[in-house]
Amino acid sequence: MGQDAAGSATRGEKETVTSGSPLWLSLPLVAGLAVSAQAGAPIDFDTEIVPVLTHAGCNAGACHGAAIGRGGFKLSLYGSDPASDYRSVVLDWEGRRVNLAQADESLLFLKSTESIAHGGGARLDLDGPGATRLLKWIRAGAPRLQKRRLVDFSVAPASSLLEQPQATVTLTATAVFDDGTRSDVTRWTVFHSEDSSAVSIAGHRVRRRAAATGRHIVTARFLDRVVPLEFLVPRDAPRVQLPPQSQANFIDKHIHRRLEQLRLPPSTQTDDATFLRRVYLDLAGRLPESTQVRAFLADRHPEKRRQLVDQLLESPEFVENWTLILARLLRIQSQPNDQQGARTFHNWLKTQLEQRARYDRMAWQLLTAQGDTHASGPPNFFRVVNGAREQAEYVSELFLGVRLRCANCHNHPLDHWTQDDYHGLAAVFARIERGRIIRPLDRGEVTHPRTGQPAQPRIPGAHFLQTAGDQRAALADWLIADGNPYFARALVNRLWKQLMGRGLVSPTDDLRTTNPATHPALLQALADDFIRSGFDIRHSLRTIASSAAYARDSRPTKANASDDRFYSHALVRPLDPEVLVDALSDVTSVPEIFGDLPAGSRAVSLFDPKTPSTALDILGRCSRASSCESLSSGPSGLARTLHLINGKLINDKLGAPQGFLRQFLNSPNTDSQLIEELYLRSLCRLPMEQERQYWLSELGTADTGSERRQIAEDFMWSLLSCREFLTNH
Amino acid sequence: MTNSRRCLTRCDGITRRDILRVGGLTPLGLGLGHWFAQRHTPADDKRPSPPRSCIMIWLDGGPSHLETFDLKPRAAAEVRGPLMPIQTSVAGIQIGECLPRTAQMADRVAIIRSLTSPLGEHNFGTHYLMTGHKPTPVLEYPSLGSVLAVSRPQHSVLPPHVAIPNFRVGGGRLSGGAFLPASAHPFAVGGDPSRADFRVRDLDFYRGLDIARLDRRRRFLRQLDAFHRRSDAGEVPADPAFEQAYQLISSQQATQAFNLSDEPAATRQRYGRKQVGQCCLLARRLVERGVGFVTVNQRGWDTHNAMYTRLKEGYAGAKVPVGLIPSLDLALSALIEDLHDRRLLDQTLIVVMGEFGRTPKLNTLGGRDHWPRVFSALLAGGGVTGGQVIGASDAVGESPLDRPVTPSDLAHTLYRLLGVDPASELTTPDGRPVRITPAEGQAIGELMS
Repeated sequence: MGQDAAGSATRGEKETVTSGSPLWLSLPLVAGLAVSAQAGAPIDFDTEIVPVLTHAGCNAGACHGAAIGRGGFKLSLYGSDPASDYRSVVLDWEGRRVNLAQADESLLFLKSTESIAHGGGARLDLDGPGATRLLKWIRAGAPRLQKRRLVDFSVAPASSLLEQPQATVTLTATAVFDDGTRSDVTRWTVFHSEDSSAVSIAGHRVRRRAAATGRHIVTARFLDRVVPLEFLVPRDAPRVQLPPQSQANFIDKHIHRRLEQLRLPPSTQTDDATFLRRVYLDLAGRLPESTQVRAFLADRHPEKRRQLVDQLLESPEFVENWTLILARLLRIQSQPNDQQGARTFHNWLKTQLEQRARYDRMAWQLLTAQGDTHASGPPNFFRVVNGAREQAEYVSELFLGVRLRCANCHNHPLDHWTQDDYHGLAAVFARIERGRIIRPLDRGEVTHPRTGQPAQPRIPGAHFLQTAGDQRAALADWLIADGNPYFARALVNRLWKQLMGRGLVSPTDDLRTTNPATHPALLQALADDFIRSGFDIRHSLRTIASSAAYARDSRPTKANASDDRFYSHALVRPLDPEVLVDALSDVTSVPEIFGDLPAGSRAVSLFDPKTPSTALDILGRCSRASSCESLSSGPSGLARTLHLINGKLINDKLGAPQGFLRQFLNSPNTDSQLIEELYLRSLCRLPMEQERQYWLSELGTADTGSERRQIAEDFMWSLLSCREFLTNH
Repeated sequence: MTNSRRCLTRCDGITRRDILRVGGLTPLGLGLGHWFAQRHTPADDKRPSPPRSCIMIWLDGGPSHLETFDLKPRAAAEVRGPLMPIQTSVAGIQIGECLPRTAQMADRVAIIRSLTSPLGEHNFGTHYLMTGHKPTPVLEYPSLGSVLAVSRPQHSVLPPHVAIPNFRVGGGRLSGGAFLPASAHPFAVGGDPSRADFRVRDLDFYRGLDIARLDRRRRFLRQLDAFHRRSDAGEVPADPAFEQAYQLISSQQATQAFNLSDEPAATRQRYGRKQVGQCCLLARRLVERGVGFVTVNQRGWDTHNAMYTRLKEGYAGAKVPVGLIPSLDLALSALIEDLHDRRLLDQTLIVVMGEFGRTPKLNTLGGRDHWPRVFSALLAGGGVTGGQVIGASDAVGESPLDRPVTPSDLAHTLYRLLGVDPASELTTPDGRPVRITPAEGQAIGELMS
């Protein structure tokens, strides 16, 4: 094991160095050479001392890695900036942190081993390999050799199956440097279990714990690299084998592999009525009408589901619904005293969807837009947020699915984003005049907090751009280029979430190395397919809606009831507030009124989330002030339920004279017809015989017309408040 | 001490996980009371005192410790700012000049001046302070109020965790209830309790509805849910959200609890007419009637600019200061005194805090920015030993000087005071055990007599 190799090497060297020779008289470099001649390779600060500090936690955010350090001693977070760490350790404070004359009197050594008082306690064992290496390095004159750079870091095994209850896995971490050396760095790698109640870590050994079925992530950190390791814990149950013919397209290959690995048997495929309702809600954002339900159920065509998907993708309702979904993502909202911009932006988006615009072209237009926000949609992209940094965060969340925010103050601790990336991206957006007219400026900069100088425009994670001129087109070109690893994945992940109830990466605005997808290969395959299709949103939605995974029943079996992310059964999703309000209007034939808009306006078509509506507020619509993607369920179930019970939203519509119920009751219809029609309108299915009998007997207890009306209202109320109605299942 | 260390569950021989499982299967976790009663063994010789309630006054945005509970009069002008400390009723303890009423009750309050956290972002800090856990990407932890809701028997039809006027805290990402059943999530009363026409939204019957019709709707709803969920995954539970709402609407006692206009004008005046005052008064009515946890959310403490106007005067040129701190001072002092007069103070733990403190140096906009490394909190009632200050910050309020207290330590302390074992475990829906506090925290012994 690497640990032993490293340990014995340092121990051996310790003995050779304690010879008492007046090494401190030598220059650091000479000292280094001397040691190297005597006892193997000299110690490299950047790749051998920094990992000791990281491993001991010295440069964590809670300690000296904080943006302003701690106790007057500042290290870069997780050692991301060795040059500045070297300054702090060796040069600052007139070099008192390292004592070249007497290495074990160095503050660095005394504090870290708590030989003298240290707020952080003892971080290194006095005789341990870390302390030993520190001492050896100081004795060698504390040089910064810069002899090599890390080029690759990997940990094996990257994925493990933990079948036995107490199964353990021993990890080995390997670093490759640019001088061609390859080291076992397991001893200096920091392993962290994201859920230590599922898999625990002791040193470099991972142990499965009880009640841990599922997939768990352990992150491994060495220098500035973090890699995720995956641990699969199958159910304690017989093997599951899914035949290839149960796959409808490439999606199912990936989904089924996971289900087999975890021994999760899937639920059956759902019935036609449920499929119809599901796909209407997902694509068109509305319920099918009762005649459409009857027609679909009666249709005997073997390809009727596929035909339905195609037909919905071409419908105007699809455009309305997906304009809303994308508008929420783009955070389209009115400015104070200015609704026109938002209206123009919304209409532009709608036109793009109508005309089947390529998503990459849309992004390019948005990023490079200029002009009058009232006359043209894309310039409004620069009014959503207020400043260059905010724009950088918005753009990275939207198009990269990445939260760059952490990299404002320090390099991202859980990913590879740096402060250069953050402020460089912000610099791209610094030269824009923001107002009703968006126009590029000659001047404008953001200050890099580390250097105090203007940040150089930069494509995050890639390369710097020219300092002069408007660099937005260069950024946009990079973004939509075929090889871009983020752009397509960020979007297909969101499309997947919209239809399947959970992102392959969740939350969908947090694509990051250490937050891997539940099905990484599937995410890649969907992204590749999206690119091949010409960035066609409809194409990817069709692909997802055609999979067997999409068409699964939402009712879990005993065996898969605990699964919430491997798609063994369809995930039940609450209806979006806008979709729910429209559905209530449709079922009752009584429109909900929004602000001073004309009756009949649909909630999904509102371009401004500030349009007054108590119902939408209580149901928890996205205000679009910031991303709504990682918000939890919204307002408490209680406030919402109270509103469904006592609020106007449903009650007003039940009793409205022109509404469906009053009209139907006033016509010569039988109770049986009423039951059937209400079921079709609200639940989009025919009542089972048992249900029909139940409601017939309830309605039959009425002695008077007004009693019948009240029972019918209560019946309809319960249809509109039951879980089957309030969810897409 | 013995009392606060009591662990209801272990005495009964029931584990937390059993409770949660039961809580998940019964509507809203009501009925737990009966269940507990049945399991109460005669071997339990000491009668448990009634469980304590908690009112958390959440100063949303991050209150400045340097203007409230930890002033630095001897520091340079750019650190100390214009506000000065005043003497309190306890020798040696001083707090900010805008808190004169609270100062007179110093013997009943404990101030922690050495809270420390590494998290200076609103959502992260709020998660840490309200749950005791640092945020992680895999799981939102439930807040204290919601953990309490599932950890103790509920004696009231009122929601066990109420937020006044709402639970929009720390940037809005925190749900409060996390993975716990909806019945344990904070219930936001909505509206503005300081307005004359304040009513809890949708609590009164819609016209034409009455209890008979509500009962029928409830029966129909259950029937539909049963029809729908024909699965082999087990019995279909009643919709807990509906059951909770039903109990609330149909109970006279419940609707009465929210009726602020029942309070004499003098009482309403005493708490202050600002929102935080009336929220605290409503909180008192609720804990009186058995609500276990109330979050009073006072927003506006994120004072990056114009801090002194916002903290002290309220608006430029105010003759009588009506800013955040004077409003808090009125509300908090009235609450402590009122609870004391009603002999409820020992049964009610009051916590005043926000997600972090503010930078030692004033910024160029006359404000202070986020500063989590050291900040303050105030505790009163609920068995807290008053008249003391825990810990200290350094000369400029930058770092803890003495006895650092982490938010985990604070959570341990609050759970102890509220009679819940900080080591108890909850179970997530996918079956994972989750400790309610991180193992590394430690309760602050000095606070508990």
